[in-house]
Amino acid sequence: MRVGWRRWTALAAVVVGVGLTALLLGSGLGHDPNRLPATLLGRPAPDFDLRAIDGGQRAHLAQLHGEVVILNFWASWCVACQTEEPALRDAFERYRDRGVTLLGVSFQDSATDARAYAASRRIPWMLLDDPGSRTGLAYGVSGLPETYFIARDGRVSYKAVGPVNQDLVNQQLRRLQAEGAA
Amino acid sequence: MTGRLPWAGLALAAALLTAAASLAFAAISSSENSGTLEQRAHAVAATLKCPVCHDLSAADSPAPVAQQMRAQITEELRAGRTPDQIRADFVAAYGEWILLSPPQRGLGLLPWLAPGLLGVAGLALLAVTLRRWSRQHEADPTDSAAPELSAADRRLLDKALAAARGEVD
Repeated sequence: MRVGWRRWTALAAVVVGVGLTALLLGSGLGHDPNRLPATLLGRPAPDFDLRAIDGGQRAHLAQLHGEVVILNFWASWCVACQTEEPALRDAFERYRDRGVTLLGVSFQDSATDARAYAASRRIPWMLLDDPGSRTGLAYGVSGLPETYFIARDGRVSYKAVGPVNQDLVNQQLRRLQAEGAA
Repeated sequence: MTGRLPWAGLALAAALLTAAASLAFAAISSSENSGTLEQRAHAVAATLKCPVCHDLSAADSPAPVAQQMRAQITEELRAGRTPDQIRADFVAAYGEWILLSPPQRGLGLLPWLAPGLLGVAGLALLAVTLRRWSRQHEADPTDSAAPELSAADRRLLDKALAAARGEVD
């Protein structure tokens, strides 16, 4: 009787141990550490009031309420940012008079390098300096480039990690414009 | 055998209690609310991951973004914000993966409960081991290391005892 009780206790301990290990491993292995959650989706976009890298105008998100805003985090040293530049340039040209504002925010870059890059590439949209990366940290930027699509009501509608292409930008802008017209 | 200290049980109980104490100490020891502003900022940064690094805290990483996180934490502590409020802002922007400590819900509760569970298990094992040892000690105070008799030996012994009693009687 005593031996039977011991045996059942040992078996229960092994089953609990194996079960817990399997549960922890299962939950960890089923999660891709490279896929980061976009926690801001559907929530009000963090406000910012930043000066352009050329020291001229400022851009204040709260004042852009009612417009669709594309917020692109970039850096002059970021090769992938150069890849997406044609898609952003196309979107800027096509939608600039249709209630869409494209803003670039310099992330982890020196103002001098950012200015030199913007001048050499003749980037036509407003590029903003982000002292202390406060805006980048508020948006949860963890790599470059990252692009946020902000709806007319000021909520984050879509987050693109990595370089965007024309199809993705057009698709998002059409959707956001349709939402605004509805 | 009965009088010997049960070293295996005692060693396992000691290991469980040591693990429980270490985990509990690690969980409660933090200088977030004491020390200089820099020490407090470092303590808060140590609870957050550097978002552009692999497995480095914002306190330990040399990456510019980690430096900026530390600067922002210092600034916010100076402004009177609490460590929990600061962490909540980072979680709102990045998600819970930015925290180096597991969330206190779901499976994340397990590591938080571990010190208590290990402590209870260690104490229970210690109590059971000592109780068993004490009973065995009481049952055989001579601390004899003699093995138990087999059935055949027991019969022989009974026979010899009976014969001896017969001689006496």
